[in-house]
Parts: sequence; structure tokens; C-alpha cells
Amino acid sequence: MSAVGIRVEHVSKQFSHRVKGLVYAVKDVSLTVQPGELLTLLGPSGCGKTTTLRMIAGFERPDAGRVFIGEQDVTDLMANQRNIGFVFQNYALFPHLTVFENVAYGLRVKGMAESEIRTAVHKVLQMVGLAGYDRQFPNQLSGGEQQRVALARATVIRPRVLLFDEPLSNLDAKLRVHMRRELQQLQKQLSITAVYVTHDQEEAMAISDRIVVMSQGAIAQEGTAESLYRQPASEFVAQFIGRTNLLTARVLSIEADGTELEVRGMRFRLSGQSPHAQPGRSVRLVVRPEVLGLDSPDCTTGFPGTVASRMFLGEKVEYHVRVGEDLVQVTSYNPRNVFAPGDAVTVTLPTDGIPLLPGGTT
Amino acid sequence: MNQTPANSARAVRRLFQDPALVTSVVILWVLLGLFVLYPLIWLLLRTFTEGGTLTLANLLAILKDPNHRQSFWNSLLLAALVGVAGTALGFFFAFTAVRANLSKAWGTVLDAACLLPLISPPFTTAIAMIFSFGPRGLITYHLLGIKGFTVYGLGSTWFSETLTFFPIAYLTLKPILSGIDPNVEDMAFSLGSSRWRVFWTVTLPLTVPGLANAFLLLFAASLADFATPLILAGNQFPVLPTQAYLQITGLFDLKGGAVLSFVLLVPAMIVYLLQRYWVSRKSYVTITGKVGAQTMVKSVAPWARYPLLAVCLLMAGAILYFYLLLFYASVVMALGANHTWTLQHYRVIFTEGLKAIRDTLVIAGAGMPLGGLFGILVGYLVVKKEFPGRQTMEVVSMVNYSLPGTIVGIAYLMAFNDPPIVLTGTALVIVACYVFRYSPTGIRATVATLQQIDPSIEEASQSLGAGSGTTFRRITLPLILPAFFAGLGVVFIRSMTAISATIFLVSINWTLITVRILENITELSLGPAAAFSVLVVVIVFAVIALIGLALRRFRAAGAIEVTSILGG
Repeated sequence: MSAVGIRVEHVSKQFSHRVKGLVYAVKDVSLTVQPGELLTLLGPSGCGKTTTLRMIAGFERPDAGRVFIGEQDVTDLMANQRNIGFVFQNYALFPHLTVFENVAYGLRVKGMAESEIRTAVHKVLQMVGLAGYDRQFPNQLSGGEQQRVALARATVIRPRVLLFDEPLSNLDAKLRVHMRRELQQLQKQLSITAVYVTHDQEEAMAISDRIVVMSQGAIAQEGTAESLYRQPASEFVAQFIGRTNLLTARVLSIEADGTELEVRGMRFRLSGQSPHAQPGRSVRLVVRPEVLGLDSPDCTTGFPGTVASRMFLGEKVEYHVRVGEDLVQVTSYNPRNVFAPGDAVTVTLPTDGIPLLPGGTT
Repeated sequence: MNQTPANSARAVRRLFQDPALVTSVVILWVLLGLFVLYPLIWLLLRTFTEGGTLTLANLLAILKDPNHRQSFWNSLLLAALVGVAGTALGFFFAFTAVRANLSKAWGTVLDAACLLPLISPPFTTAIAMIFSFGPRGLITYHLLGIKGFTVYGLGSTWFSETLTFFPIAYLTLKPILSGIDPNVEDMAFSLGSSRWRVFWTVTLPLTVPGLANAFLLLFAASLADFATPLILAGNQFPVLPTQAYLQITGLFDLKGGAVLSFVLLVPAMIVYLLQRYWVSRKSYVTITGKVGAQTMVKSVAPWARYPLLAVCLLMAGAILYFYLLLFYASVVMALGANHTWTLQHYRVIFTEGLKAIRDTLVIAGAGMPLGGLFGILVGYLVVKKEFPGRQTMEVVSMVNYSLPGTIVGIAYLMAFNDPPIVLTGTALVIVACYVFRYSPTGIRATVATLQQIDPSIEEASQSLGAGSGTTFRRITLPLILPAFFAGLGVVFIRSMTAISATIFLVSINWTLITVRILENITELSLGPAAAFSVLVVVIVFAVIALIGLALRRFRAAGAIEVTSILGG
């Protein structure tokens, strides 16, 4: 069976809130998942990512809009008619059934022959590394093992799409990193279309082919992890993905080979142009901590500041530098100069690789 | 959820998309209306109308009678005394069980001692009291040689009810005491408190809401108790339930009985509302499911556990003595006079008493599955489905359970004696009485179980292709099976042992063992009464064992546990 895509067209969903009355959980969201792609819905809690996923699954019915799996309009179908695999945050294993029966459940519902069930269940348990766990009950398993059972149960029915609702958030940090690699491998191995919901940007970047960042019920930006990091479309995305310093600058002039800016009373030239840059208007600079450098105070091309704190983290050193009234984050790999809190320093900016965003007050 | 008009309109629309739901809701409301609301309305009409007009005359007439006023105050006094003594005793048992570092075996002994009074027929302690302290009592007459000792009155009723009902306090307080994190006590120790001080400043204050709760539960139980005062209170100490009963059976004054039971209803409702909506919500103990660092409980000095245990064992011994005495009385000619071994009494109950045994088993056997089903159905609908009047249904389904049995019995007697609905003399009326009075335990167990089942479990089933029918059958039903069995057990046990409501509903056609026991006692044939009681205890134990077996068989390793089938 070849993979099918998913299309979500202009869906909205309202909920009645105890205090605020009717509120939009999701408002006019459209997105497309390519066949075989792993798409992540990323955002803070309450951004509508889980509601979107649950509408794809059929647990929630959209108030408006359509949902397609492949070419089929599934908007009016119940979850049990959509042939999906869903992995829950809390695993949702059936506590009264053994591992074998949990995994076999979907096959039994389909009315598959007993011998086929046996073969299929054993094969998938082997695949997730749980061969021999047939007769265990869920409460006898560790969190990671429960997660694998949930995964086996969702994939054994050969669903058209796999949906993950924060599947790793209940695991400890090390296991989470390990499991996300396994998840990704399994998804590629089965070459199955998948939608993955998480609030963890690092997890999203690690496993996704493409990421949709959501905020307040709407899509903030979509793209690959790299494009989101390098070219955020808004301050929200810039701050949600990775760490960032946002500096306000005034555009002085635009020339063929660059943009002349004024930052904190200092002139500064950035190569290239940006649609947001208009002479006389202010812009925001998305300055990642790792593009900044620290130099001795006698360096003239940069902002003078004072080291406020220093944290040694092995391969890197993280500084907070007080520049005027702001605290600027600077991450330094393989530093040539080492500074201590209280040292006077110069923070240096590169002339490229700094995206501009509109707005900000001067 | 706030009930805006749009919301409820949506709820109604959704209701009619689900024909099975509509049918169940309608049927349940018809049944609740017929067997809960209709009798109560009759009772109120009888109390407050005379010849078709609204009046307080009936109530005032009853209240004017000093004898009735006395019985009202007596009821309150007895209930308060039993509440205090039972709570104290229950606390003592619970404290010893969870705080004295006893071995598991001793814990089981304490549990067993408390279980016995809970599952016994109502007269058991009362009969044993008469055997021990009556005119020819083993202790007063034979052992101590006291002549003319009267066992009847407040003292023995108080003692007997305390012994019968203190397990309720034990069951209420035990989880609260064991829920107090020993680390909290350790903290107090680390701040320099002595054990005595820790007990008075930490342990006891944390238990106060539980103590209040236990007191109210005991107060209500004593207020509603009919059997013990009927045997032991005597003429000198009339209480409301027995007065109402005598008004009806002795004076054939149905109206007077109705008014008296209304007088009983007022304090009963106040106590119920206090208990349910005030005290039971004030708890300091939060059950997080996370056990704090394992620490030895140090709040009881090693030497102190022996006196604690000794006092508990003394009480347990008294309970055991009463039951052995009952058994002994059932196998000798006449306890106190002729101690020749005999099976005479058992012969009597299995010949002329056979009808009562058969009737009781038929009624309990019919009530058990009906009550069990009713319990899970109401519990399931209330938790899992949305329909108008959902919360009202839960409250109404609890009404008969929270009312004293005498009131329910008299209300049924009046409601089903006259057209349009005549059920008097049938088994149905007795079965209905038990089903609607005792299935609330099953409802509560179902509600508690369902609330622990995460909605995602049912969604998981749905995502795997199962429709709602399959999901209910294969996922939800197995998970609430323990609650179903708990419901079955309670309905059966109460059907075997209850009397306060159904004494008004028995007839020539259908009678009950408990009623026969009462008749035997009034005829002074205590031997058969003891034999009947022993039989009931044996049957109840057998059924509890069977249900325990069924639970172990059906409850898979991961399923949710139902705390105690008698809790509440």
C-alpha cells in the first residue's frame, strides 16, 4: 500500500470556556501533509495543535472546514471508520488486556483469522523490541515499554496515517531522545504518512520532515526545521524555536550590497536586503546567541558591555552580557578569550545571517 | 459546563441522535419516578393534607403528644451517643490498625472483627445482649447471680448500636489515617515534638474532617435503626422508627405512621446534607497516588502498641463472643435454661421457616442482578453520557438510600396499597424496595471506576476501528465489572439482612427471614431466631466468598480495584 497524504482545509473548532464563553481552539487552519512525510505540529500548550490532530483522527468534528485522507473526504466519518493509527500521550493501553491482546485488539475488531493475528502481532512486537512480552499486563511494564506497545498497537492495523499526540512527553530525557530516533526510523521503514504533535522544539527539529508552528489556534509558520530557524517569520517563531536576542534597529539606508542600520547609537552594515527594511523605519534583528562574539573592550566594532554571568556547559560557554539596559545572550564555542563576570567586553555582530522582522519601538 | 439555552438545545439534539440512550434515560426516569418520587410524594401528601386541603394539623397533632415528642428527642439523644461512642471506637481501631506497626495478620484480625457486624442480620447483637444480660442472661443471671436486672433501655440500645455501627467509622477513618504521610509526622518529630504532642497537634487535627464525617454517618445509621431499639429499647425509651412502626402495626394508624416518619425525615435529611455537601468535602488528606519516601511510622511508641492492641482485641473478643453465643443458642434446647445439644431449631426453620428462607432467597436473587444492572447503568450514563437532567438523576437515585428505611417502607406501603398502582403483597414491591434502596453503592462504585478511566482509552479503541458498541463491550464493561460485582454483593447482602423498610411490605404471600426472626423474638422462641441468624450469616459469607472469587477471576491484573464492597 502506497502512502497517502492528508489535507486539512479551513477547519475551525470552538469550545465553550467556563469563563470566556465560546472560544476558538482552532481557527481557519489549512495544511497539507505529503504522502510518507512526517509533519510536526509544534506550539505552546493551548495553541490548537492537539485539537487539529484530534480532528484529523476524528475524535473531534470540525465546526467548519473539511479533512481529507488521501482523496477521501473523512470529515463526517467517525474515528473508527478512518483507518488511522493514534498514539496517545498517556499511551491509553487497555489495562485489563495483556500486551498481546492490546496489540491484537484492532485486528480482532477487523475480524482477522486467529492464526494471522498471531503472526502479525508477533511480527510487530519483534519490530518494537518487545518479543516475549505477550502475557505481560500494561501495569507491569516500564514507561518506555508501554510506549512501544502503544506504537505496536497503532501500527499493526496497517493504518493509512499515523498520528502522535505528544507520545514522548511522559518519558525521561534520555529515553525520549532514544525513542524519537526509533519512532522516526519506524515511520520511514513503514513509509507511512505521520502527523506528530509536540511542544518540544528540539524534538520537533530532530524528527520532522517539516514543521508547522501554531499559535493561538492558527498557523504561525511552516517549513523545514532549518528554514524556521534561519528565517523566522515572526518574533513568536523566532523565540519559540531556539533561543534568540531581539534587537531593535533603525534602517538608515538601503544600498545594492547591503542595509545600513543603527543599533544602540552605533552604525552597522548588514549584507543583503530585506522586504521589511524601509529607510527611516525600525526593524527587529533576530540575533541567535551563537552568531555573537565576545572580544576585549578595546575592540571598536561592536557594543561595549559587561559580563553579568557565565555558565560553563562543556562544549560551549553561555554568557549573559549587560549592554545598556538589556541582557544579551551570547553562546561561545571554542572561545579564544575567556571572560569572567564583571569583565568589560565588546559584543561583536556578524554582517550576515541575521534575519530582520518588521516593527518594534525605537 | 454552564447550561446556556444553546448548550441544552444542543444536548437535547444530541440525545435524540442516540436512540439507545433516549430509551435508557426514559426507562430509568420512569422507574425512578415510580419507585422513588411517587412514594415520597404520597408520604408528603398524607402528612400535609386532610380531606384534600393543605394543613399542618396532622403534624401538630403528632407533635402535641408528649410521648411522640419524647421519642423524637430520644432518637436524637441515642443517635448522638452512638455517634460519639462509635466514632471513638472506630478511631481507636483504625489508629491501631494503621499507626501501631502491627503485622499484617493482626490487621486482618481487626478487619474481620469489623466486618462481622456489617454483614449480620439486624437483631444479632440485640439477641446476644438478651442472651447475656436478659432476665435469664448468661452473664447477669448465671455468672453474676443478679436477679431482676433489666437489659431494656437506653444503655443497652446504645451499647448494641455502637457495636453494630462502629465499623462504619472504622472504614471511614482507616483510609484517612493511612493517607496521612508519615513524613508529616516525621517533620514534627524533627522539630522536637514528643509522640504525645505529635498525636495531639498533627495526627488528630488532620483526622478531624474524617471524625466529623464518621460521626454524621453513625448518627444517621442510629437515627434510622429500627431493629435494635425494637428489641432493646423497651417501653421506657421510645424512638421514632419504632413508634412509627407501632403506630401502623399496632394502632393501624397509617396516617400517624406517615407523620411520624416525616418527623424522622427532617433530622435525617439535615444530617445527610451536612455529611454529603459539607463535611465530606473538607479533607486535608490528598491522595496523590505517589507514596512519599518509605518511612517507618514512629507515632506510636513500641510499648504502646500492646495496650492499643489489647483493647481492640477485647472489643473484637466481645463481638466474637456474641456470635459464638448466637451459634450456641441455635444448637441447644433453650439457652439459659436447658443446654442439651439439639438440631431442633434448625429443623424448625427448615420446615415451618422454609417459606421465609425460600422467599428471601428468591427476592434477594431477583434483586441482585436487577440492582447490579441498575447501578452500572445509572453510573455509566451519569458519567459518560450527556443528557438533560443528568445530575438530577444521580441525586434522585440516591434518595432512597439516604432515607431511613422506616420512611421508605411507610411511603411504599401507602403508595402501592391503593390504586392507581397496587403492588402490596407482591414480591415485586419488596424487590423494588431493595433495588432502589441498595443499588446506590453500585452506582457510586461505577462512577468512581469510570472517573478513573481516562477518555483516551475509549478513543484508543475507536482509533483501532471499534464502534461504540464494541468499545463498550470489550473495554468499558470489563473495566467496570468489579463495580458491578460490588453492586451485586451489596444488594444481595442487604436483601438478606435488612428489615426496616421491608417489614411494612411483607405479606402472607411473601415474607422474609428477618421478619421471621423478629416474630420469633416476640414469641420468645429465641432458638429458631438464633438459628435463622446463623443461617443468614452463613449465606452472606458464602455469597461474599463467591463474589470475591468472581472478582479475582474477572479482574485482570491491570483493572481498577473497588475498595470495599461494603464501603458506604
